[in-house]
Amino acid sequence: MVSAKQLGLVSCYDCHLLSRWRPPSGGQKSFCPRCDAELHLRKPNSISRTWALMLAASILYIPANLLPMTITSSLGQTQSDTIMSGVIYFLSHGAPGIGLVIFVASIFLPLLKLIILAYLLISVQRKSSWRPRDRTQLYRITEAVGRWSMLDVFVVTILVALVKLGIFANIDAGPAAVYFASVVVITLIAAESFDPRLIWDALERNHE
Amino acid sequence: MSEETPRPIPALGETPVAEVRTKRSFSVVWVIPLVALLIGGWLAYKAFSEKGPTITITFENAEGLEAGKTKIKYKDVDIGKVTKIALSKDLSNVELTAEMHKEAETYLTDQTRFWVVRARVAAGEVSGLGTLFSGVYIGIDPREEGKPQRRFKGLEVPPVLTADLPGRHFTLLAKDLGSLDVGSPVYYRKVKVGKVVSYALDVERDNLKIQVFIQAPFHKKVTRETRFFNASGVDVALNASGLHVNTESLVSVMLGGIAFETPVGLKASKQAPENFAFRLYPDRESTKEKEYSTKRYFLLYFEDDVWGLASGAPVSFKGIKVGQVVDFSLQFDWKKKRFQIPVLVEIEPERIEQIHGKLPEGKSMVDELVARGMRAQLKTGNLLTGQKFIDLAFHRKAPPEKVRYDEAYPVVPTIPQPLQQLVASVQNIIDRLEKIPTDEIGRDVKTVLESANNNLRKTEAMFGQINENTLPELTRTLEKVRTSLGEIEKGYGADSGTNRDLRKALDELSEAARSIRVLTEYLQRHPESLIRGKDDKE
Repeated sequence: MVSAKQLGLVSCYDCHLLSRWRPPSGGQKSFCPRCDAELHLRKPNSISRTWALMLAASILYIPANLLPMTITSSLGQTQSDTIMSGVIYFLSHGAPGIGLVIFVASIFLPLLKLIILAYLLISVQRKSSWRPRDRTQLYRITEAVGRWSMLDVFVVTILVALVKLGIFANIDAGPAAVYFASVVVITLIAAESFDPRLIWDALERNHE
Repeated sequence: MSEETPRPIPALGETPVAEVRTKRSFSVVWVIPLVALLIGGWLAYKAFSEKGPTITITFENAEGLEAGKTKIKYKDVDIGKVTKIALSKDLSNVELTAEMHKEAETYLTDQTRFWVVRARVAAGEVSGLGTLFSGVYIGIDPREEGKPQRRFKGLEVPPVLTADLPGRHFTLLAKDLGSLDVGSPVYYRKVKVGKVVSYALDVERDNLKIQVFIQAPFHKKVTRETRFFNASGVDVALNASGLHVNTESLVSVMLGGIAFETPVGLKASKQAPENFAFRLYPDRESTKEKEYSTKRYFLLYFEDDVWGLASGAPVSFKGIKVGQVVDFSLQFDWKKKRFQIPVLVEIEPERIEQIHGKLPEGKSMVDELVARGMRAQLKTGNLLTGQKFIDLAFHRKAPPEKVRYDEAYPVVPTIPQPLQQLVASVQNIIDRLEKIPTDEIGRDVKTVLESANNNLRKTEAMFGQINENTLPELTRTLEKVRTSLGEIEKGYGADSGTNRDLRKALDELSEAARSIRVLTEYLQRHPESLIRGKDDKE
């Protein structure tokens, strides 16, 4: 199979116009002749950028889970809940469905994304040719599923806005909300900055 | 970065050519994980530096406590949180694991106390109402002094006093708690100056130890001579000037309280030190008696009627109370074939101040006194009520006796009760008899006799010879004189009407005394009858 890169062709990210690739020189850059978007054969600095973002997200993932997500105060009694304690609360108080959703969206998916990204990065750097199709599938899952992790942040924002009953009930967002949102956003960007074509590039070199 | 070969510049000759290669630029993207790392590191540092000690507190039960929710508060500021509640291995109590804030670390010593703050109603105060809504929390009384400690035994009852409130603690020994409770007030001149902090029953000594706290500066008013008494009662006194009702504040009447007074005494009083033990008197009246710690017990055998003797009746020596009756009973001695009444008395030797020397070693004061003729005697203290007391006095004419040591207590010899009442009445009669002008009567009689004699002599002298007519006259006159003498005798003699009347009057008087006694007894038993009248059923 021949790739566009080998034939000196480049596809525009935005309008997907296939044009002939001219490597830019000096401080210059290539642009799409049709929609004026910047053109790259491959995403620039893809691997190091993804690594950086992935690591940043992993670091922020720790406080996001350890610090309280919501601070509920009701009649003078204040209670702070982390994501996990919320999950446990729902699981043990007869709402396993909600508990499961929160668990999947807020704990499992971000972690899954970070692991998949780490695996993809390592496999690309090692120029592995092992099951490229499945790895691309993994990448697609990462991309598709990433935004759903924002669910928890949305729930918290809605709760904070709705439950403002003074002394009777009050919910405040905990510091974890910020970290968690950062994790989700950074993993989204990380997934975006990863170029799945790199998976197939390794395969081509192996053919040569 | 031009691809062209640099042309040699003739003026400079051979110059080094700059290297051309791709610059390894530091990608800006790496700032993001760096920032994340910084934030993470800062958070970790903060968490680590703020993490205080983990402590264990044991309680009897964990009512209302919740792991992860129950806070440890001091002055309503969170200084820790319960993280785990577990049963102890022997299931006897619960063990709380709590994470304290860093700043609380220095206050966790072996003197620090923990208790559960719940809504409570005690000693007229309602506390912890807020916990009804917010749930219970753990209170702490932080103390800086003492050894650092991480395991604590929680108090089941919250302490009345926390932190370093200035003042002093004292221990009161009482027979019973009465209506006191933890938190009951302590009054000085009817001003609330302290509180009951705790109480504990001493099973060994069978008395009650009540711990009180007197706030500064009132603790200075507590000297070694200070008397604490139960202020929860109402003293009602009825005397000639009317009815007197004496109480402490109404709160203390309803809920109990303690008051103290420092009596003015002969001895100079020093301030009482921390935890000095006092006796708690049942009422204000009883504080007026001096308290003596040394007590000697003696047994007295009486054969008299002890009606009117009660335990607590005074034992006096030279008119000053030196002790009191503790117990008495009725015995029948089969050997002697008669009844006797053993009376146990306690004598407080400290009441007798010894000056100019001391009792020689190995000698007993009682032996000495008994050898000198001291005897115990039942006496009637109050003729009206018939209350008796025991009088120790010297009877020089009494047959010599010694203190017997063959019984549980030394036996002090007694002498029979003087028939005081009888003596008094006889005295009365004598007094009255003395008031009768017997001398005058005697003189009159004498005068009459003398004049009769004179007449006789005159008659003798005048008539010389006994006339037949005058003789019977004379005899009759003499007879009349005798009759009048007899009448005088009848009127005032031993078996005369006047005497009978006198005795009758005296009998009436003692009858009246008896009925007054009955009345006072009834009043003692039923003081309410003063207001309500006599109960018809009785």
